[in-house]
Amino acid sequence: MTTTPPFPFPPTYNFPPFFTPQPNTTTRHAQLEKWSSLIQSWCRHHRQYRLSLIDAVESPLFHNTALRKRLDLREARAVVDWMTKSEEEGGGGRRAEWIPDGPKTVAWIWWRRPEEWADVLVDWVEGTGQKGSVLTVYELIHGEGAMSQEFHGMDTDVMLRSLNVLVKRGRAQIFGGEGQEGVKFF
Amino acid sequence: MGNSSSSQKISAQDRAILDLKNQRDKLHQYQRRITVLTDRETEIAKECLARDDRRRALLALRRKKYQESLLAKTDGQLAQLEQLTGQVEFALVQKDVLFGLQQGTKVLQTINKEMGGIEGVERLMGETEDARAYQEEVSQMLAGHLTNQDEDEVEDELEALQRELAGPEILPDDVVLPSPPTADLPVEEPVLESSKRTKAKAETRTALPAT
Repeated sequence: MTTTPPFPFPPTYNFPPFFTPQPNTTTRHAQLEKWSSLIQSWCRHHRQYRLSLIDAVESPLFHNTALRKRLDLREARAVVDWMTKSEEEGGGGRRAEWIPDGPKTVAWIWWRRPEEWADVLVDWVEGTGQKGSVLTVYELIHGEGAMSQEFHGMDTDVMLRSLNVLVKRGRAQIFGGEGQEGVKFF
Repeated sequence: MGNSSSSQKISAQDRAILDLKNQRDKLHQYQRRITVLTDRETEIAKECLARDDRRRALLALRRKKYQESLLAKTDGQLAQLEQLTGQVEFALVQKDVLFGLQQGTKVLQTINKEMGGIEGVERLMGETEDARAYQEEVSQMLAGHLTNQDEDEVEDELEALQRELAGPEILPDDVVLPSPPTADLPVEEPVLESSKRTKAKAETRTALPAT
């Protein structure tokens, strides 16, 4: 794997109050939004689909070593919790989702939601003239044909969820056994 | 999954292709594993050499050689699998093309049948030709292409009309009009015969008694 270039942190990252929960509701809301976009771009940069908070609190994402400031597990969880809620509920537009089994420590970070991934996939399939042909899920994620695509090396679960969105829309059909799923695009 | 209406779109061929592709994916994965192993064997050999353990280094290199031969074999298999997949997919395309041709031919045949065959077309063309000739005639007549005879007749008719309108005054002098006879009527002598005949006629006209 090629080494990823360092992540360009936004200016707010070097602003100490960013790491302290703000008491004012408006300020708090702005702070949460900034955190949400920081987490999303961090995950996008590292091609990360799930974020384990236990690991993340030790990573530069939540730990600014230069400022010696950090977001602890409880705070990080609050941020991700806010991200999971829809905008109507006063949340961050469902940009995260807790992975059900176990306590709230691992979450999907939707820097692209499955529906958005579905659109990317459809565009790629149409652009490469593969409508009506059978592709394996492995091929989609690791295949040479999709090497340059954003979904290359994608988490299998995310891929299956995105494909299921297409199944619901009637644009694809998943078949075959567990672990050897194939997909046919229409 | 489990959606019966949409799962019908998956044909047996699709499943066969999926099987082939899955097999190919497995070979890919196997190759990746072997590649990782060969890299490790090289490292082990290096480490052993550093420790001056020639025997183990050789062993590691032999293992590496063997794995590399496996890799070459899987390459061949992979190529075969991909070729087969390609052939199956191409055959499916061919099938579609054939189906399309069949449909096209059928439609063409039906249309031809509707036109009633070659004779029908010929007959129709003949009829069209007749109708066209007739139409030509009519339009020529309407356009005023009259024959000489027609022209004469028209002239005569015009003269007659003029005569009628103008009355007898404008008659030319040289026309000799018939005059009433001036001679005496010839005296008829044999009257007897004719009266006899009338008598006989009267006899035959007697009424018959009513029955």
